[in-house]
Amino acid sequence: MKERYRNRIELLQGTLDLLLLQTLRWGPQHGYGISRAIQSQSGDVLQVDTGSLYPALHRLERKKWIAADWKTSENKQRVRVYRLTAKGRTQLADERSRWEQLSCAIAGILNAAKKEFET
Amino acid sequence: MKWPWRKRYDELDEEIRAHIEMSAHEREERGELAEEARAAARREFGNVGLVKETTRDTWSYVWIERLWQDVRYGARMLRKSPGFTAIAVLTLALGIGANTAIFSFVYGVLLAPLPYHDASRLVVLNETTPRVGTVSVSYPNFIDWRSQSRSFSQIAYIEQVSFNLAGASVSRPENIQGDSVTPNFLSMMGVRPFLGRDFEPAEGNSGTQRVLLLGYQLWQSHFFADPNVVGRSITLDGNDFVIIGVLPPDYRSLDRIDVMLPIGVWTTNNPSAARRGDRGDSTVVARLAQGTSLAQARAEMEGIAASLARGYPEENDQFGVQLRPIRDAFAGNLRTEILVLFAAVMFVLLIASANVANLFLVRGAARTKEIALRMAFGASRSRIIRQLLTESFVLAFLGGTLGIGFALAGIRLITRLIRQDTLVGASIGLNGAALLFTAGVVVLAAFVFGMAPAVHWAKRDVQGELKEGGRTASVGAAQNRLRGILAVAEISLALVLLAGAGLMLKSLYRLINVNPGIQPDRVLTMEMYLSSQRYSHDPAVLNFWRQILDGVRALPGVESAALGNHIPLTGRHGRTDITIEGMALPKPGSFPHPDIHTVSPDYVRTLGMVLERGRTFTEADNDTAPLVALVNDKLARQYWPNEDPIGKRFMWGRFNPASKTPPKWITVVGVVGDTKMYGLANPSRLEVYAPLQQDADDDMDLLVKSQLDASALTSEIRGVVAAVDKDQPIFAIATMNKIVSDGVAAPRLTLVLLGLFSALALILAAIGIYGVISYSVAQRTHEIGVRMTLGAQRLDILRMVLGQGGKIALVGIVVGIVAAFGLTRLMSGLLFSVSAGDPETFAAVAGLLVLVAIFACYIPARRAIRVDPMIALRYE
Repeated sequence: MKERYRNRIELLQGTLDLLLLQTLRWGPQHGYGISRAIQSQSGDVLQVDTGSLYPALHRLERKKWIAADWKTSENKQRVRVYRLTAKGRTQLADERSRWEQLSCAIAGILNAAKKEFET
Repeated sequence: MKWPWRKRYDELDEEIRAHIEMSAHEREERGELAEEARAAARREFGNVGLVKETTRDTWSYVWIERLWQDVRYGARMLRKSPGFTAIAVLTLALGIGANTAIFSFVYGVLLAPLPYHDASRLVVLNETTPRVGTVSVSYPNFIDWRSQSRSFSQIAYIEQVSFNLAGASVSRPENIQGDSVTPNFLSMMGVRPFLGRDFEPAEGNSGTQRVLLLGYQLWQSHFFADPNVVGRSITLDGNDFVIIGVLPPDYRSLDRIDVMLPIGVWTTNNPSAARRGDRGDSTVVARLAQGTSLAQARAEMEGIAASLARGYPEENDQFGVQLRPIRDAFAGNLRTEILVLFAAVMFVLLIASANVANLFLVRGAARTKEIALRMAFGASRSRIIRQLLTESFVLAFLGGTLGIGFALAGIRLITRLIRQDTLVGASIGLNGAALLFTAGVVVLAAFVFGMAPAVHWAKRDVQGELKEGGRTASVGAAQNRLRGILAVAEISLALVLLAGAGLMLKSLYRLINVNPGIQPDRVLTMEMYLSSQRYSHDPAVLNFWRQILDGVRALPGVESAALGNHIPLTGRHGRTDITIEGMALPKPGSFPHPDIHTVSPDYVRTLGMVLERGRTFTEADNDTAPLVALVNDKLARQYWPNEDPIGKRFMWGRFNPASKTPPKWITVVGVVGDTKMYGLANPSRLEVYAPLQQDADDDMDLLVKSQLDASALTSEIRGVVAAVDKDQPIFAIATMNKIVSDGVAAPRLTLVLLGLFSALALILAAIGIYGVISYSVAQRTHEIGVRMTLGAQRLDILRMVLGQGGKIALVGIVVGIVAAFGLTRLMSGLLFSVSAGDPETFAAVAGLLVLVAIFACYIPARRAIRVDPMIALRYE
């Protein structure tokens, strides 16, 4: 049973948090909406597993980076809607700059390797 | 009950439901059929239970909620199988109860802090001599120790004293006890008087005023806790003592303390205090100086004792010194007993735990399907293990609670069986430490038997479990091996316990059959001490004793009455050097040093001693007649081998050829059998008996042999004594039978407890092996059916099943015997004339275990041979 999860592409530690915070920047959203948004915005490359999504949402909520309210959806369904808090906004900025640093660094390494390979 | 997390729980359900519904809704809008859309959405979502579970993991209070859930679930599961629960809880309760009870004694006697300041630096000192062993310290030697030693910051002398207390303050005259101490004693111990003041340095000198501190008990009982008691006086032995204070309620001493006096009062009235060769009832306590170890102090004291032995050969020849931590002095003789019993109960607890683990394994097997189902519904493996552990903790909690009840009953029972004076004031109760210990044991036990099924579950394949319905041969193999190992362990542990109990039984049997040299039946004894104030000279003393004897003999039903000052097995004794006429004079420390008795004419007859040769004393052996004595068999054989001892002569003390006064020779007129002065287990010593009229003593035991009931006789005797002297107390009243049986009380108690523990172990081990075999028979029903169809005879099946049990039993017995050989050696100090590896005992307990194992296997084996092959084959 455990193996099933192990075989999926796992997002880097902290990356999921970044994606969630970023998604909520466009406005409050419920869990299903968030997972759909990530999926479509990544061009169907990233599929957030519910077994990771909900624990992550609840964890971020506990850290007070996001807050949750109950709202009623268009089709009269009570849904739990998450929104970014002020604290979460700061956190998002931090995570973002860290991510950019990281991707820059990785790109640098990859480019260097590429050059080496080419010469 | 509505719990705060309930709402959160429901909300998570709703959140996830919404997720799936929205997903399904979208699919529907894309044109899928409602049914299909719903199924697809659910599939896409994944394992709902697991998502919920992992999400809840992020909640902060989740563990409380989990725990509560697990506890409730565990309780429900336990309620569903009351038989299992009852056996498991009872097994644990017995193990834990026995453990706590014994630990309470371990704590009270060996671990509880002594109520003194920095007790770890306090040491007790005694003198030693090869002729006797440990003896008291003479006061002049103490003075030299104090001035010569550098190892101690403080050193104090303690002399036991006793007084007669009579008059208006008491309803009946009584004897009280106490200590006479050097004035620094209490401050050295870090004890402050509860009321009043401590002793002053000047009160250590002779000629000081008579003052004393009251013991807390005496202050309560005789002065009704009068807060103004300081300054009042109390009359002891006819002398007035000024009360200067009261000892604290928790004051603990090696002796009973009714009063405490400064040593100056004792030296004033006791010429023996100045005699270096006189060693009364005294001991020395000292506090090690900063930075000095016990070994350093011992080395220094041995040097001082050696120089004192050289400097005063007449008094100190061959006398040495012994130092031990004060804790050892308090733990005394009980140390080995308690540690052996403690080891024994630990074994019982181990067996109990193994048994419960076994029960859990069986149950685990029966619950295979239930647990597989729970895992399929999203319960994580760790959750299941936690659940199982919680269940065992619930069980351990129940067992622990019931166990505390057992422990309380056990403590009460043991304190009633034990002689109070052997506990030297240790308070035994279910205290915090004992409870803490139980909690530790319970947690350990829960962990041990919780782990067994948990480990088992950690490597199960759920899919296979569900498919196979949890009943296959392969499933059981590893588990059966584990259960087999547990059963082997139980049997070997039980064997060690049984061996210990067996050795104690044999030892006690031998001890009880030791001839004490007396016939204790129907003999009543009581002590009287005549205060020197009233009976200051021998004729007065002798006159008192004569009147008592005459009065008691005249009582109806009395067969004989006698007086003696050192009754066997009471611990009271007196020893002195003697010189045998014509012997080559040895060094001062090597003279014959017998126990001496002052006895009235009927002593030998009343106590039922054996007169081997000659005669006993008569009324004619008085102060005007020639000096006579009886000796015991041992002395006669040692000093007059192959000669008739009758008519031989000896003298008290050491013969000095230079002395002008002619020696007072005493003629031996009879030889009596040896008696056991110092306990049944100890060899008899040399003994000499002198007639009361030639060697008066003011402290005697009255011995009365009669047909009367002890309490009726006691009150008759009280009347006789009161008629002679209304202020004369009678104390230490006991039947001789009680004195003899008290002598074996400690080994008897050890035997009773060890016996109980090993019986418990035997039953548990039998249940253990029975469980393994009967479970295996149940599992192999199909196989047995096949075998029988293929022509196996019932005998073959019986042999097969018994063989399996026999293998477990034999391995257990072999392991147990090896362990027992190693472990029983630790209790050799408790054994009397039985070796710790006694082959007879070992063979007997091994045989007993074999029988029990066969019986335990026979019940399932019989079930196996009754298997109907046709039914068994359809059994899958």
